[in-house]
Amino acid sequence: MTPIQMTFSTMFLLGLMGLTFHRTHLLSALLCLETLMLSLFLATSLWALQLSTINIACVPMLLLAFSACEASSGLALVVATAGTHGSDHMQNLNLLQC
Amino acid sequence: MSYLVCVLLFGLMVGSVGVAWNPSPYFAAMGLVMVSGVGCGVLICFGGSFLPLVFFLIYLGGMMVVFAFSAALSAEPYPYGWGNRSVKMYVAAYVLGVGCAWKVLLGKWSGFWGGILDESGELLVLRGDMMGVAAMHDVAGWMLVLGGLGLLLTLFVVLELVRGVSRGGLRTV
Repeated sequence: MTPIQMTFSTMFLLGLMGLTFHRTHLLSALLCLETLMLSLFLATSLWALQLSTINIACVPMLLLAFSACEASSGLALVVATAGTHGSDHMQNLNLLQC
Repeated sequence: MSYLVCVLLFGLMVGSVGVAWNPSPYFAAMGLVMVSGVGCGVLICFGGSFLPLVFFLIYLGGMMVVFAFSAALSAEPYPYGWGNRSVKMYVAAYVLGVGCAWKVLLGKWSGFWGGILDESGELLVLRGDMMGVAAMHDVAGWMLVLGGLGLLLTLFVVLELVRGVSRGGLRTV
């Protein structure tokens, strides 16, 4: 594998592991989600630049737009959680716990 | 120039590990700032001009700023930093994991760089990625409209999520 592919693949896997093994804050999990999106942006941009397929340069822009939608929804949920529970700690989200 | 790209790729890895072990959101946002700055540098080295600019302006200047002042909601008196004793295992595990993966998967790398660097030394105005994004306004115009409608929908979703009193997600406000 070339170093560039290895880098954004590892970034994706690191963000995924950070999202899976979250600890305290909901906002930290959202930031790991942003790392995932960032690695995908890098991957598609490098695709457009390396392989000289110029029209694929639309894909990172649209990816950024839809990722902004997702980030703003996540932040609205963080604000709602902080409003009801007082903080965004994950251990407070235990309504479904037996 | 390829050594510069190697340094920037290493910076990407360090920043990603800095976000992935879930420190306090202040420090994770700092890691993302570093990753986006270094990622902008990587894209410049490979010949992009518009896409790195979008990265800096929209991602760092737009979305990260919103994350930064949302991190004020999760303020705590003793935030977990990057040198906290109780979480050194996580950092060591991620760094070792990344190192092992690189050793195993890049072990057979014969020396071919695998990328085309932008070493022409000229200052060009019309680059490839700028033309590609121009195609988004021309050929992919409907996709642009769809993206705009999606963003408008998200605005209403967010307004409903944070509506207080008796509807929406907030109940005590």
